Amino acid sequence: MVLTIESVSKAFPGVQALDGVSLDLKPGEIHALMGENGAGKSTLIKIITGLHQPDSGRVLLNGEPVHFASPRDAIGAGISAVHQERNLIPRFSVGENILLERPPTRGGMIDYDTINRDARKWLDMLDRGIDTRAEVRTLSVAQMQIVEIAKALSLEAKILLMDEPTASITEHETAALFTLLKRLRENGVAIIFVSHKLEEVFAIADRVTVLRDGKNAAVGEPMTTMTRDKLVSLMIGRKERIAVLGERNADMADVVLEARDLSTSDGHRNIDLALHRGEILGLYGLVGAGRSELARAILGGAEITSGELRLHDKPVRIRDMHEALSKYRLGYISEDRKAEGLILMHSVRENIAITIWRKLAGFLGLISGARESRAVEPFVEKLEIRTPSLAQTVGNLSGGNQQKVSIAKWLAANAEILIVDEPTVGIDIKTKTDIHELLGEIARDGVSIILISSDMPEMVAVADRILVMHGFRIVGEVANDHQYETASKAIMACIHAVEDDEPTSAG
Amino acid sequence: MPFLRRLLIVEWSGLAVAIVLGSVLLAVLTPNFMTEYNIYVMLRSFCVGLLVGFAQMVTLGVGQMNISVGAIGGLVAISFGGMMEALGVPLVLAVPLAIAIGALCGLINGVLTARTGINGFIITLATASAFTGINLGITEAIPFYNMPAALVAFGDERFFAFPYLLIAPIIVTALLMLFFARTVPGRQLLAVGGNPHAADLSGISRERTIVLAHVLSGGLAAIAAVLAVAQLGSAQPSIGADWLLLSFAAPIIGGAALTGGYVSVVGTTLAVILIALIENGMVLANVDPYWVQFLLGALILAAVWLNRWRAVKTGTD
Amino acid sequence: MSETTGPASPVRNRRPFLGGASGQVGLLAIVAIFWFIFSTLAPGFLSSFNLYALGRSLAVDIVIGFSQMVVLATGGMNLAVGSIGVCAVMAAGFLLQDLGLPISVGFAGALLLGGALGWLNGFAIVKTGVNAFIITLASASLFLGAMLILTKAVPYNGLPPEIGAFGRARLFGIVSPLLIIAIAIGAALVVLYRFTALGRQILAAGANPRAAAMSGVPVDRVIVISHVLSGMLAAAAGLMVVTRLGAAMPATGGEEWLLPSFLGPVLGGTLLSGGSVAVIGTMIGAALVTTIRSGLLVLQIGNFWLQLFLGLILLFAVLVDRYRSVYAERRSVGVKS
Repeated sequence: MVLTIESVSKAFPGVQALDGVSLDLKPGEIHALMGENGAGKSTLIKIITGLHQPDSGRVLLNGEPVHFASPRDAIGAGISAVHQERNLIPRFSVGENILLERPPTRGGMIDYDTINRDARKWLDMLDRGIDTRAEVRTLSVAQMQIVEIAKALSLEAKILLMDEPTASITEHETAALFTLLKRLRENGVAIIFVSHKLEEVFAIADRVTVLRDGKNAAVGEPMTTMTRDKLVSLMIGRKERIAVLGERNADMADVVLEARDLSTSDGHRNIDLALHRGEILGLYGLVGAGRSELARAILGGAEITSGELRLHDKPVRIRDMHEALSKYRLGYISEDRKAEGLILMHSVRENIAITIWRKLAGFLGLISGARESRAVEPFVEKLEIRTPSLAQTVGNLSGGNQQKVSIAKWLAANAEILIVDEPTVGIDIKTKTDIHELLGEIARDGVSIILISSDMPEMVAVADRILVMHGFRIVGEVANDHQYETASKAIMACIHAVEDDEPTSAG
Repeated sequence: MPFLRRLLIVEWSGLAVAIVLGSVLLAVLTPNFMTEYNIYVMLRSFCVGLLVGFAQMVTLGVGQMNISVGAIGGLVAISFGGMMEALGVPLVLAVPLAIAIGALCGLINGVLTARTGINGFIITLATASAFTGINLGITEAIPFYNMPAALVAFGDERFFAFPYLLIAPIIVTALLMLFFARTVPGRQLLAVGGNPHAADLSGISRERTIVLAHVLSGGLAAIAAVLAVAQLGSAQPSIGADWLLLSFAAPIIGGAALTGGYVSVVGTTLAVILIALIENGMVLANVDPYWVQFLLGALILAAVWLNRWRAVKTGTD
Repeated sequence: MSETTGPASPVRNRRPFLGGASGQVGLLAIVAIFWFIFSTLAPGFLSSFNLYALGRSLAVDIVIGFSQMVVLATGGMNLAVGSIGVCAVMAAGFLLQDLGLPISVGFAGALLLGGALGWLNGFAIVKTGVNAFIITLASASLFLGAMLILTKAVPYNGLPPEIGAFGRARLFGIVSPLLIIAIAIGAALVVLYRFTALGRQILAAGANPRAAAMSGVPVDRVIVISHVLSGMLAAAAGLMVVTRLGAAMPATGGEEWLLPSFLGPVLGGTLLSGGSVAVIGTMIGAALVTTIRSGLLVLQIGNFWLQLFLGLILLFAVLVDRYRSVYAERRSVGVKS
């Protein structure tokens, strides 16, 4: 074993990211690491690369326990990685970025001729079209990703970690990358490969380790014994997670929100959708399909270049969230709870009341704490938010309870339409079910919901109808029968149909 | 218009044009402008300003700021003067000691910000006050007047319009250009400023790089202080008191990225030339000196606005 | 989409320097200790005149601190407080002496000018998206330059005598009415941040602008309003100096106010990263500054060492605060390292 992870655990405030996870990596293998969003893959990668330190457990390199205090140590030990986040210096040239770890010097001065020559060598294996002298900030997203990969390869490490390296590159470039990875494998390099795309994993991996909710669902299973279905069920867990929600009574005659032939400056084309009173409309698609961006565009985050957005059968243009809430009673629950959903340093009470402060203001525009508490309490009870008090700082709650707080504020605001973006990422199974039931309940009370999710079981369990998005278009509609097998097959069929049409489209 | 677009991308092109136009205008309007003596005066006043701008530029490059540039300057100036007048330290020894004191002040700034992760603004605001306090406490605001003749001569004499004082900034400029373009620490400094997270992952020590930037900043401020003492012929405790605005104006007008990761040695130099030109023009035209204050503020705002506009225009935000 | 388990941004309670209400008690204790030291070393420190003078300059320090605090709440800063202050001072002088307007109109005009200059800052920050530091650094120079050009730096010495009389007035022998005004402003700010929708929105926008915007808070608007408020408070501080001197002096404010403006709020526990204010803390912080200044004066150590003391105190305060928050984080996360 070149690298062994022994029951590693890691906690962040409010969430146990990794719980006794193990993995072993042999020289000359491509080892797939799979799991849903929030399963802990990136955390594991960050521990191996020295960015995080485990709370418990061991990391062994060639049988010797190692402790990486920083990425420097990991690089020094021969580990290189392509991370999910962009890790390039925008104002530096492509070549200098590729050789940033160890710039060649001559007489103490950086030798740019050698940089360009060496960088060229690595780039040529992937894409001949990128100039090593170009500033990185002038490249496209796909080109930047290629540079990231070339940078990781150039370290000629014995262990290579690739966290979704194909997320933004073309199929052509993916093919080139795979040829290269296979060659490295023959040379004895050990590769950990993280991807959401099953096809890729089956095409290239020798073994697979699956994480689910921060735990091992499978450790180093040979791919030869693996089937698609088996892998998927390992990733998403037991089928019975699909809770049957109570009946809903959507009023299909009452269209509350409608997009007609909508195109946006973000690249959406010809979007048609209709949301009915009391309905949960699912918006399914893989990462990068343009779902969250569509939500943003509806809420004024991007320009609508053609087509029409209608609320209650009247054309509208929403400028920003302030207008969306105050004029149209539209709410948005962001997928990025920490950055956009909550104000972590403020209390539960303030986080829920933020949408209704203007309404709470009484004599002379003053708000009393008691009044605020009275307004907020029913929702804390209804959503069963577990908090010692309303004054508790939200940052100290668990992930699930945080998410409930971010839902509660829109209930308090009496929103009529809710756009919910990946509501259960990184949340434990019990709370996940709670939130699903809650969404069903809200819809029964007459709120119309657009549910954005890449969690297939969640989609099948919760949505009434499912619109499938791909490449910033809506490519199909599935009437949800709440049966996982048939519904998921129908959804995947929509995506495969377009993928077959456009063989060169970016994943 | 590809030529115009290329000009847009080179941050300092506008500055070069402004300097040429301004010089021509001044030469035509005021007969005194093109005299040997006036050019000497202008070049001489440019020396200290340039180093002050550089002192701030290196901290901007790493994504930090240094409010204490002027305070370090003042402290170094009086230490420099004091050690020569009161302690009789010879000039050749006093200069490196003075620069070392500046670097030490920078080291304090750097270690405090990098180790604690506290906003560099508040740390250097506090140390600025402390450095100024030591300065005033020691001198009680009384200057050291007896400077070595060699130093005064260096600050005063000239070869035609070329002041000897200018030698120091020319050397420093060349070294800084080399530092940022071709040396590993220089590139690492800009890498940390450009994307600290990426620099971490590439094994560059963020802490050490930030400390290095502050040490350099302190050292450059110290050189500025030594030049100021040479220029004035005495070590005034008030040296540096009015450097704050200039220190930011020069690199920012010169095109430095406010968020760090990009600085322009040439741009900063041109910006200081432009500022010297404006000041000189004001004096020649007998305009209220208060206009300089006003124009400097306006110039910074214009530069900031121009940078935004350029970023939008060229799509390289 | 990234996983939600990244390095959690530090979760910080709104905790003033030395912690909670107890922190303010701690700060108050430090002030008391200084009072004890100064009054022991120099009995003149407790003379009714010195106490009166101390209260009068405390009033100005408090309001200067407030004018910085209201923008710190939004996560920004205002380096132009001193420049706006002196602009308001000279505007008052012009309106009262040159135009001969009634005092109330002159002062209202000065406050309005302060608000307008603050609005310019806020507008430029919101429209360009450039950080407040650079914008207000430049505008500080711009405002000061404009004031000097227009007034030629000539003081207004012929103000109505009532102004100077008000500045010299004493209540109960030792209390300056200026101090009462400063405390009243503090009370109004407490009400703003604790009991009004606007105040809450300002704090939300300061703590996490994206989340606040996503929750329907008009973030740009509350930032501009905060800068207007800052400008008016700076103007108010300037006017207090006018009543104290009985004249409008062009040397008021400027860079001299920069350090005190940060000292009060930061000592009092206002976070530089935004999202919190400590009104009472700012007042106690200002009291510490004023006490040290007055004490050094009475002890005849002179103003020369004052700067060193203030710098070290600020440094000490931010370091202690940092140490406490790191400690609190470790405890809450259970990180072993």
